[in-house]
Amino acid sequence: MSTDVKKSWLASRLPCPAKESGHCAPTMERGRRYGATLPTLISATVLFLLASGLVQAVYYNPAHGFDSIQFILRDVNSGWLIHAFHVTGATMLFAAVYALLFRDIYRRAYKAPGELVWLLRVKLYALLLLVGWLGYALSDGAVSYWSLTGAANAATGLSGVAGAVGRWFFGGPNGAGTVARLEVFHAVLALTVLVTLGAQRCAARALARQAPAPKNPVSCHPYYTAQTFAALSVFALIFAVLVFFAPHFGLNHLNTAASDTLVVPAVLSPPWYLSPVSAVAGVFATAGGGIFGVVAMLAVLAALPWLDRSGTSNKRGKLYRLLIGLLLLDVIGLGWSVSDPACTAAGSLTLVFTIWYFFHFLVLTPLVTALEAE
Amino acid sequence: MAGTSENAVGHGAESRRGFLKILTVATGAVGAAAIAWPFIDALGPDADGTAAAHLIVNIAGIPENTAITVTWDGLPVYIRKLTAQQTADTQAVVTSTLVDPADFTDRVKPGYESFVVVVGLNTGAPCALEGNAPADPRGPFDGWLSPCDGSVYDPLGRVRGGPATKNLAIPRFKFINDAQIQFG
Repeated sequence: MSTDVKKSWLASRLPCPAKESGHCAPTMERGRRYGATLPTLISATVLFLLASGLVQAVYYNPAHGFDSIQFILRDVNSGWLIHAFHVTGATMLFAAVYALLFRDIYRRAYKAPGELVWLLRVKLYALLLLVGWLGYALSDGAVSYWSLTGAANAATGLSGVAGAVGRWFFGGPNGAGTVARLEVFHAVLALTVLVTLGAQRCAARALARQAPAPKNPVSCHPYYTAQTFAALSVFALIFAVLVFFAPHFGLNHLNTAASDTLVVPAVLSPPWYLSPVSAVAGVFATAGGGIFGVVAMLAVLAALPWLDRSGTSNKRGKLYRLLIGLLLLDVIGLGWSVSDPACTAAGSLTLVFTIWYFFHFLVLTPLVTALEAE
Repeated sequence: MAGTSENAVGHGAESRRGFLKILTVATGAVGAAAIAWPFIDALGPDADGTAAAHLIVNIAGIPENTAITVTWDGLPVYIRKLTAQQTADTQAVVTSTLVDPADFTDRVKPGYESFVVVVGLNTGAPCALEGNAPADPRGPFDGWLSPCDGSVYDPLGRVRGGPATKNLAIPRFKFINDAQIQFG
């Protein structure tokens, strides 16, 4: 049977729509930045995390979470490597997502018609925070145990609908079946991350099709495929250095001990990628307040296309850029302030950083963008 | 002449690009394989599983006319030490008269003829056989008896009567020395 006959045999029985050319259009503008490869790097990292997560799911036992991870680390062939892949992969994923969000803010890519792409990216970030925290809870270490217990007690203690949802999610206070259901949620929500990535990719393609014809066109392949692979190589190199030389990068070292229901560690800081959000949640005294803080933090981020009052003007003012730099320092400060409780000023600094975060989005952004658009 | 020179340069650049392309793809393939290997390796059996699959059993303490039971691959395996009488009796049987013909030499390892190693499950209605201890009911051939369907086996594990029509299965094993056998 010739190849042509085979093709028509398959094509007639499995008709697929013609290959999309919007993403990798035959001609694209010259001089695309390396930052534009971030969505591809994020997708690749999510697939990598899914693979390493599935392998660990074979051996993970929710009834003995910490011990089964020790089993993976010590007994499973290459298990230590798969585990380090997963842990460091989470670090790389969040690094890429934070970079993507800041890049979009800096370039004002969230403005119409890019607001749907922006919303999907904020949704991706929100989902990843949840999936990341669930994975952290699955580690069943001395620190994450208290994070899970605190969250479960707070959520199940809420009144009304929120409490009902909390009890449904955690299955009551942190008990026998809690970690088992969190393992399922961790995996299922990781799949919805894939769906969100797909939607974001579709929206970004649609955006690319609307763009005016390039002035200095180059073909997508090999120029931008090569660029993507170059970016992927550097990304993989950083990843490899972290896996082999700093596998606990950004993690609380106390969490490498087993959980103990009667011992609360001195430092309860979460992984670095959760710490800015954890800091804002901690500013509020009550559980409901903490949830409100996290939702508000994500909501102002999602509202950015409408908080930006520059209209159709594409001027990029110096003051706004300065504010983005300050915002970056502010978010780093938020994360740092919960990682070092020995610093006596940490509590008040967290409050200052939180206030600045909301001040930046709700007051400074509309003000400065409107001023600089004139 | 200028044209020739340009062609030569062009040819050189082309072959250099081809070489670099092959080099890049080859390096990438090695990297991808190195990344993929831990994922494949992690799903294979670990050291405990491999050790259990190659179980080593001490047989020095088995008294004559007695069998011990070990579990290997999830199956009850009977290791029996024959008496001189049983060896002689089973060797004297005319093989062609058996239900499932098998020689004495088919059922034991050369050099270790006094040990019989079989899977202790009846080949008819599946259940564990009786007859490991000298006091157990063993049937008329002094071997094993199935309590479920009454099938009878001789000391070599050959079927000699009853609904069963197959000899007892012999697991994969080898003698390491006089005192130890290894399965798998």
